Amino acid sequence: MADIAAHGKDVHLDGVSIRFGDFTAVETTDLTVRAGEFFSILGPSGCGKTTMLRAISGFIEPSTGEIRIGGEAMRGVGPNRRPTAMIFQNLALFPLMAVWENVAFGLEMRGWSKKDRKRRAEELLELVALPEQSGKKPGDLSGGQRQRVAIARALAVEPSVLLLDEPLSALDLKLRQHMRGELKEIQRKTGVTFIYITHDQGEALTMSDRIAVMKAGVIEQVAESDRIYRDPATPFVATFVGESNVFEGRVSATEGRFATVDTAVGPLTGENRDGLAPGERAMLFVRPERMQLGGNGALPNQFETTFERRDLEGPYVNLFFERDGREYTVHLTNVDEAGHAIARRQRIGFRPEAGLVLRAGELDAGEDVA
Amino acid sequence: MTSRIGAVEAVTAPQEAPRPRPALLVRATRGGPLAGLFRAYGDLMAGVILVIGAVWVLGLITLPQVFMLEQSLWHERRGGEQVQLTLEIDNAYQDLELLRFDRMALEGDQSAEAEAERERIQARMAELEQRIAELEAAERQPVRTYGLANYARMSGLHFQIFLKTLVAGALVTLIALVVCYPMAYVVAKVATPQRAALLMLGLVIPYAINELLRIFAWLMILDFNGVLNTMLGWLGLAPVRYLDSSAGVFVGMVYAYVLFMVFPIYNTVETLDRNQIEAARDLGASTFKIHSRIVIPHAKPGIAVGCIMTFMLAVGSYSVPQILSRGSAGDWFSQLIYKQFFESFNWNTGSAYAFTLLLTCIAFIFVMMAIFRVGIRDIAR
Repeated sequence: MADIAAHGKDVHLDGVSIRFGDFTAVETTDLTVRAGEFFSILGPSGCGKTTMLRAISGFIEPSTGEIRIGGEAMRGVGPNRRPTAMIFQNLALFPLMAVWENVAFGLEMRGWSKKDRKRRAEELLELVALPEQSGKKPGDLSGGQRQRVAIARALAVEPSVLLLDEPLSALDLKLRQHMRGELKEIQRKTGVTFIYITHDQGEALTMSDRIAVMKAGVIEQVAESDRIYRDPATPFVATFVGESNVFEGRVSATEGRFATVDTAVGPLTGENRDGLAPGERAMLFVRPERMQLGGNGALPNQFETTFERRDLEGPYVNLFFERDGREYTVHLTNVDEAGHAIARRQRIGFRPEAGLVLRAGELDAGEDVA
Repeated sequence: MTSRIGAVEAVTAPQEAPRPRPALLVRATRGGPLAGLFRAYGDLMAGVILVIGAVWVLGLITLPQVFMLEQSLWHERRGGEQVQLTLEIDNAYQDLELLRFDRMALEGDQSAEAEAERERIQARMAELEQRIAELEAAERQPVRTYGLANYARMSGLHFQIFLKTLVAGALVTLIALVVCYPMAYVVAKVATPQRAALLMLGLVIPYAINELLRIFAWLMILDFNGVLNTMLGWLGLAPVRYLDSSAGVFVGMVYAYVLFMVFPIYNTVETLDRNQIEAARDLGASTFKIHSRIVIPHAKPGIAVGCIMTFMLAVGSYSVPQILSRGSAGDWFSQLIYKQFFESFNWNTGSAYAFTLLLTCIAFIFVMMAIFRVGIRDIAR
C-alpha cells in the first residue's frame, strides 16, 4: 500500500468575490476549510460552486479578497504551482496515454525518471484498487475504473488539497454509491483535505464532514452534515437538503423556544429557531420521517388531509397526502405493516420539537435534485 | 428474449421476399459491401450513386493516370534517326526526278538500245517510288520503343530543379506549420468565441480572392519598385531584388497555401477537451509540456493532413513561381513539366516527369504517416 506523504492543508477564503463583467458568480464570501477534512460545497447548478473551486485551484483569480492555502496567499500563483490537484467533472484523462502514464503525468512534469514514475504509478493504482490495468488506455476502462485513475492521477502529485468537481455525476447510481464509500476511505487514508463540489445532497450528506450550501453565489450555511440536515438555517437549505413539508404563515404566538404559526391548515407549533416575534412571516418545516399519523387526539399539530398514495421504498414507506392543492409526505419505517390501512380522510401531524420555524424566504425550486 | 426477436423477423420477412427485382441487381445486392447501399437508398438511388462513383474513380482519377503512365513508358525515334529518315526520303525524291529527266531525254529515240534503257529507268523508278512510300510510312508511324528510358533521361539540370523543388516544398511546409500551429491553437482554444469567429473570417477572406490576384498582390509588394522597397527607401536603405532569387517565390508560396495548413490543424485542436489542457496545467505542466504532451499528440492527424496538403500544393504549384519569378529565378519543377508538354511537345518525357512528381508526393504521404504514426483512417477523419 502506497503511503501518501502529503498532509492536508487548510483553505481560507477572505472576502472573496468573483465577477465576470456585470455578472457576479460568487458574492463576497468568507469560508474556512479545515486541514484534512472532507468538505462539500452543495448547491444547484449555476450557483457558483464550480467557479469557487476554479478560484481555489488557480484557474481564475478572485475579483476581490484573498485565498490562502496552508496560510500562504495564492494570488498570482498559477494552478501548476498550487498545492492543489483537481479532479474534473469529465475526469479529463489523457486518452492517448496508458493508464500508468496518466497517473504518472504529474511526476513526469516534476522530472521523475521513468522507472520511478512507473513504480509510483503502480503503487497509486493499488491504493485506488486498480492493479493490473496500468498498460491499458483509459478508453478501455469502465466508468468506475476511469474514476479511480483520475483519483490516482491527482494524488500522485501529493496535493495538500484535492478539489473534486462532481466527479461521480457520470456514473450510474449503484456505482456512485459504491464510489462514495471509496472516496471517503481514500480521504481518510491519505489525510488530504477534500473539497467536493456537488449538486447531489445525498452525496454531500454521506461523505462530508462539513457542508457549505450555496445558492446564487451566496453561501447560505456552513455546518456539519448532521446539523445541515437537522438544523437548516434557511428555507432554501431546509428544502434543498433532504425533503421537508412546508407550511407558510405568520407567527401568531411565541412561548419559550416555540412559536405558533397560523397556516392554511390551522395553527401549528414548532421550534422558533430564528427568534421570530408575533406578526412576522414565517415558514415551518417538518421532515417527512418526523411526521406522524394522527387521529388519536394525543398528537399535537394535527390537520386533516386526503390520502393519495403509498410508495413502498423497501426499508421505509412513503405516504402522500393532499390538502388544498399541497402535498404532504410522511415516511414510516417499514415494520409491522406500516401504513397498510390508511383511511381516505386521514389526520396527520407532528410534535412541536419536530417542527422548525424559520423566517420566510426563498425555497429550492427543486428541479435539479438528483 | 431471443424467441421474441425471431418471431418479429418471421412476421416481417415474407413481406419483403416477393418484391421482383432485376437479376443483375439481385446478384449485386445479395451480399457484400454493396448490399447495405442498396438497402439504404433503394435500387435507383444506389445505382445512380454507383455510376457517379465509378465515373469519378475511373474517368477522373484512374484513366488520366493510366494514360499518363502509358505515355511515360514509351518513346519514339527522334532526333538523328528521324533526320536521317527525312534525308533519305529527300534523296530518293531527287533520284526519282533525275530518272524522270533521263527518261524525258530518251523520248523520241526508237532504237532498241534506248527502249531497253527506258525500261531499265522505268523499273528503277517503280522501285524508288515503292521505297519512298515505305520511308514515308515509317516517317508517319514512327516506331514506339517501350521502356523506362523517359525516367532515366532527366538531365543533370532538370534533376537539380527537381531536388530544389522538393526541398523548397518541404521548407514551405515547415514554415507553414510553424506559422499555423500557434494560429490554429489560439483560434481554437484561447480566443473567446466572438474573437475566434473574427480571426477565422480574417483568415478566410483572403482566400475568397482569386489565387492569381493574391499572387499579384505579392508581386506588387516584392517588386523592385514595389511597396517593400519603397518603404526601405524611406528608411534610407538600398532596394533589394527579392524576385531574382527564389525567396520571393518562397514567400508567395507560404502565403498561398498557409490556409491548407491552418484548417486541418484547427479542426483537430478544436476537438480537444479544454479540461485536458487544464488538467495538465493543474498537474504542473509548463506551456511547452502542455503542447508537446497533450495538444500536439491530439492534433497529429490534422498536422499530418496539413503537411501533406501544403507539400503537394507547393511542389505542384505552377502559377506562383510563374508569376513571381517571371523567369528571373530558376524554374520550378512544375514549370519544367509544362515546358515538356507545351514547348518541346514531348508528352512522353513530360508524363514521366509528372509521374515522378506524383510518386514522390505519394511517398511523402507515407513518410508523414510514419512520422506522425497515423493511419489512413485518422487522416480521413
